[in-house]
Amino acid sequence: MAAKPRNPSVTQTIAEALAIEMARDPTVVLLGEDVGKIGGVFGASRGLQERFGEERVRDTPISEMGFTGMGVGLAMAGYRPVVEIMFVDFIGVCLEQVYNAMAKIPYMSGGRMRVPMVIKTAGGLIGSAAQHSQCLWGLFAHLPGMKVVAPCSPHDYKGLLASAVRSDDPVVFIEHKGLLLKKADSFIHNPETPEGDVLVPIGEAKIVREGGDLTIATISASVEHALEAAQGLAGEGIDVEVVDLRSVVPLDADTVAESAARTGRLLVVDEDYLSFGLSGELVTRVLERLGPSGLKAFARHAVPDVPIPAALSLEEAVVPGPASIADAVRALAARS
Amino acid sequence: MSNDPVALFAAMVRLRKFDEACLQGVPTHEIHGELHTGLGQEAIAAGMEPSLRPDDAVVSTHRNHYHGLVKGVPAEAMMAEIFEKETGLCGGYGGHMHPFDPERNFSATGIVGASLPVAAGYAYAYRLAGKDAIAVGVTGDGGTNTGGFHETLNMAGAWKLPLVVLVENNRLAISVDFHAVTATVDIETRAAAYGAWARSVDGTDVEAVRDAFAEAAAHARTGKGPAVLEASCYRFSGHYEGDHDSYRTREEKKRMRVENDPIPLYRERLIERGEAAAEELDAIDARLGEEAAAMLADVRAASMPDPKTALKPLFVEEGR
Repeated sequence: MAAKPRNPSVTQTIAEALAIEMARDPTVVLLGEDVGKIGGVFGASRGLQERFGEERVRDTPISEMGFTGMGVGLAMAGYRPVVEIMFVDFIGVCLEQVYNAMAKIPYMSGGRMRVPMVIKTAGGLIGSAAQHSQCLWGLFAHLPGMKVVAPCSPHDYKGLLASAVRSDDPVVFIEHKGLLLKKADSFIHNPETPEGDVLVPIGEAKIVREGGDLTIATISASVEHALEAAQGLAGEGIDVEVVDLRSVVPLDADTVAESAARTGRLLVVDEDYLSFGLSGELVTRVLERLGPSGLKAFARHAVPDVPIPAALSLEEAVVPGPASIADAVRALAARS
Repeated sequence: MSNDPVALFAAMVRLRKFDEACLQGVPTHEIHGELHTGLGQEAIAAGMEPSLRPDDAVVSTHRNHYHGLVKGVPAEAMMAEIFEKETGLCGGYGGHMHPFDPERNFSATGIVGASLPVAAGYAYAYRLAGKDAIAVGVTGDGGTNTGGFHETLNMAGAWKLPLVVLVENNRLAISVDFHAVTATVDIETRAAAYGAWARSVDGTDVEAVRDAFAEAAAHARTGKGPAVLEASCYRFSGHYEGDHDSYRTREEKKRMRVENDPIPLYRERLIERGEAAAEELDAIDARLGEEAAAMLADVRAASMPDPKTALKPLFVEEGR
């Protein structure tokens, strides 16, 4: 009889990746609010302070500008800091150090200075309304100089975080609060996550469901929503392919274009805001590759440029979920 | 670096000649953005120099040339970067507000107050590595009213980081008078809130700065936590070249440039104390002036960066 497969939560795979990286490289340090004594508000650094000490796993005061800037200094001094901004919504108080320092110093220095730093932060919907539910990957992606990663499966959380820590480039690693506490076996797309090293290269999208009628390209928790929608749509005779982008920068438009060229229809689903963001950028890049008549139809399904409302009824009206994605697919499939 | 008085004098003159040479690139538009000079503030950087070690870090501001030079950044590479040349410290990608020299642990930022958290990061790195190196975060008086000043000193105090916060208080945040927007009479007073060592010093007196900075550095270097050194000074020029500088009267500027010029002040003192002859100091002045002129000529002759390389150094690993 085969051994029972491991069933870690997402936070557990994140903590495993951090522990592996900290053990293999003494220059890896973790800074942030509540990351130490309690192991992070979501448990994504549980056990690390006990194992690696208070200096390397540093509980900070509520001083995001200060400790994000410290991350920049640490990186320039030869360390690999992982700076946790508890919720991505808090980036407003320290964006200065993120986009003017971390992201620009490698370029401004003519490539002489490297800033191997990770901003690890939780985004996405958790029913906490306008100031605690944003994704904001489009914001970071618009600002040059940082890679922007947002995994979905527990396996990819582990493998992409390891790659982010090892990367010599600045990386913003955006977790989804709705996924962090989920166990592996509750994911539709759930490649096994080994206990040891997992490395997933940054910048490669993955087809997580094959289908011939229509391509959904999306990222983070929306990948699972799209897979759930696709399961239902299969019963209606619509065969959906789902591409997990896994990173916004670099954006693997080649994989999406190749898929959309086959299916002829592209729906981009994004839990971030609609305008000036991932969905418009991806459609443009696909059309640049395929030509203006390269698709039979395309559409975008994203948060329609309003803050995330508090009431569940309102929230469901603006944030893509399995039902709204299915509706968007039906509408797109019906277009000639 | 020597504590020899003549060497201190020469250090100031070298800085002055450097920025005066840079000024020549402004009317010709060789420097096509703004330029912030340190004219009048030479005694501060020159006073730091004897206590700085190669393994220490300095994180400076938009007005950074002097701090880079005393940290050991090659002067010609620095000037070439200010002139945005291919031979510049950063190949012309950074410009005068953004010089980076990893070998000398020198960097700067054009965002007021943003230097301090980064300096604290170097200090934290040195602590982690068990080194006795220190980090110096430079700011003006304007930068001390940012939140980053508070956040940095609070953390540095809580964790006893080897950090020196050097405040060049020229009493002007562009046009806004320090006292009009600041609740404390000075910056030194605030240090007590963070458990930091603190001192105010006349930033036009190079020996006073040298001694005070040596104390501040020794405090930080011996694990006693952060130090705040406030050096008062007078900014000779406008905030940047081209600033109409209408917030000060012509008379004030004229008088203050005489009363607060650290170089002639020190020259008189050396002669009075019999430590140098006027001719010797004049010869130093002339020699350093010639060196700066030769450097300027070399920098002017260097190429501009190849436009084809504009996308080059973004990421180590490819992809956008």
